[in-house]
Amino acid sequence: MTVGAIPLSARPAPSTPQQWWTLTTRMIAPTLANGELATQIIGSIVFTVGFYLPLKNILGAVQPMSSYAQYLTPLIVVQAIFFAAVSAAFRSAIDALQGINRRFRAMPMAALTPLAARMTASIYRCVVALVVSLACGHVIGFRFHGPLWHTVGFIALTLLIGAALALVGDLIGAATRNPEATAPLLLVPQVTLGLASVGLQPVERFPGWIQPFVRDQPLSQFLNSMRALAGDSTPAAPPVTWSVIGPALAWVAGIVVVFTWLHARVAARRP
Amino acid sequence: MSSTDRAVVVDDLRKSFGSVVALRGISFEVGRGEVLGLLGPNGAGKTTTVDILSTLATPDSGTALVAGHNVRTDPAGVRRSIMLTGQQVALDDMLTGRANLVMFGRLQGLKKAEARSRAAELLERFDLADAADRSVKHYSGGMRRRIDIACGLVVRPEVVFLDEPTTGLDPRSRLAIWELVSDFKADGIATLLTTQYLEEADSLSDRIIVIDRGTIIAEGTADSLKERTGGTYCEIVPRDMMDVPAVAAALGALLPGENRAALTDASDRVVMPAPDGANTLIAALNLVSSADIELQDIALRRPSLDEVFLRLTGQEGAAAVDAGALT
Repeated sequence: MTVGAIPLSARPAPSTPQQWWTLTTRMIAPTLANGELATQIIGSIVFTVGFYLPLKNILGAVQPMSSYAQYLTPLIVVQAIFFAAVSAAFRSAIDALQGINRRFRAMPMAALTPLAARMTASIYRCVVALVVSLACGHVIGFRFHGPLWHTVGFIALTLLIGAALALVGDLIGAATRNPEATAPLLLVPQVTLGLASVGLQPVERFPGWIQPFVRDQPLSQFLNSMRALAGDSTPAAPPVTWSVIGPALAWVAGIVVVFTWLHARVAARRP
Repeated sequence: MSSTDRAVVVDDLRKSFGSVVALRGISFEVGRGEVLGLLGPNGAGKTTTVDILSTLATPDSGTALVAGHNVRTDPAGVRRSIMLTGQQVALDDMLTGRANLVMFGRLQGLKKAEARSRAAELLERFDLADAADRSVKHYSGGMRRRIDIACGLVVRPEVVFLDEPTTGLDPRSRLAIWELVSDFKADGIATLLTTQYLEEADSLSDRIIVIDRGTIIAEGTADSLKERTGGTYCEIVPRDMMDVPAVAAALGALLPGENRAALTDASDRVVMPAPDGANTLIAALNLVSSADIELQDIALRRPSLDEVFLRLTGQEGAAAVDAGALT
């Protein structure tokens, strides 16, 4: 106990980029050791195997595209970024629960820096999810058939969707402050939207009363756009037009606006 | 105190949450190098006060200056001057103790090498060098509290808020924190301490403020607060409790009528005020021993802060003290 507990020198000036990067790496660094990365990889493989193998003969025949792999892979990608959003929700709930957010708010740091760092970590998770799920898709036969800028568009749109979902997950974590509750809360939309979408089978295969929902719900809009951007060896893929891509972008924009507003509301609550 | 000596100046602070009034006009000052103890039962407004002073909440009215910065108009200046430790340890559980310290150093603007060397110093100082590279989720409660406070000391604070820092700690960790508060004093740092241990407020604080229902109901040194409840008293315990009436008789005029009337068949001791301190005790001892009554104990007693607290806050506070859960 001889070393001084209290530094004598004046405080340095904190820098926002340094704070953002510090908070981002604190979330990315443990993903290698704590199994988050492994879960992401295994999750995508399990999902690919679990849906592709049993369904490729039954549903492969009723979908319009060249192969069921080409039809199914966008759903595998979306499910993978959903898993990334669950991780985002879990981390955000832990931070809210442990009181570290409260501590950050009493430190010389811009109010949005912790959220920006959490979102950056979420984008990293989405990149991992995208790479792993596309690798799984490649194995079963998925290929990009469009020009390069369509492929770039596919990646950009997927990351945008991932960011929007991560924002939702982050809010659920911050609002519930309950890490255990985050996975079930996100599982409900993941499963219901996932199954009642055009991800596994075309909309005509659903009963008439539910078809409007299946066709118009956001996940189906995302999947249509991703199929359009991925293309196909036959002309069966949806065309890359504003009427196909527009609704997906509108959903992403809507989610970002609404949930950013909700984030501000949650942050304004009593510490 | 001159204005440069005052690290915290609070003037008529008011705050409501909906229909619940948390603070009804609180004013106090803390000087540099001074430790101010904030005492009060649950819901008295202590944490609301700390929240406002650390910019986590905004007051409805009133002003508060922390290290010369107004909490309302210059919250960034306040945040650059304070260290806050809440009732709950606030760390990243996935990281090691060292990584937490480096993280907070980087967040406070230290360069990477500075943050690392400061982390090593603090681990040494807080007796955590052996556990430095273990994840903090495996730390004991005392170790977590120490690393939590260490994370607040990566850079120099001018004002420190310690919100119940020793609640539930082992004696070693508690002692380390008590020593640290002395270091703050010696270094000219102002400390605002809330605690549920009245004994702790008594030994660490230069001054104590007692809050109840959002107002300050008493302020002063531990000694002056004790004086307010009647000061020193003398307690005489005969070996045989049947001798209590004999003791009362022997004391004669020295025992005030009020205290005489308070004696019952079940009393095992005689209690009376000792306005002259030791002289009162000597006088009582002479009277009782000349009456040939054998004593088990005779002593001067000072009211504990618990008793002061009971007296000041009434029954509601009393229940909390009895339960040992005064926050």
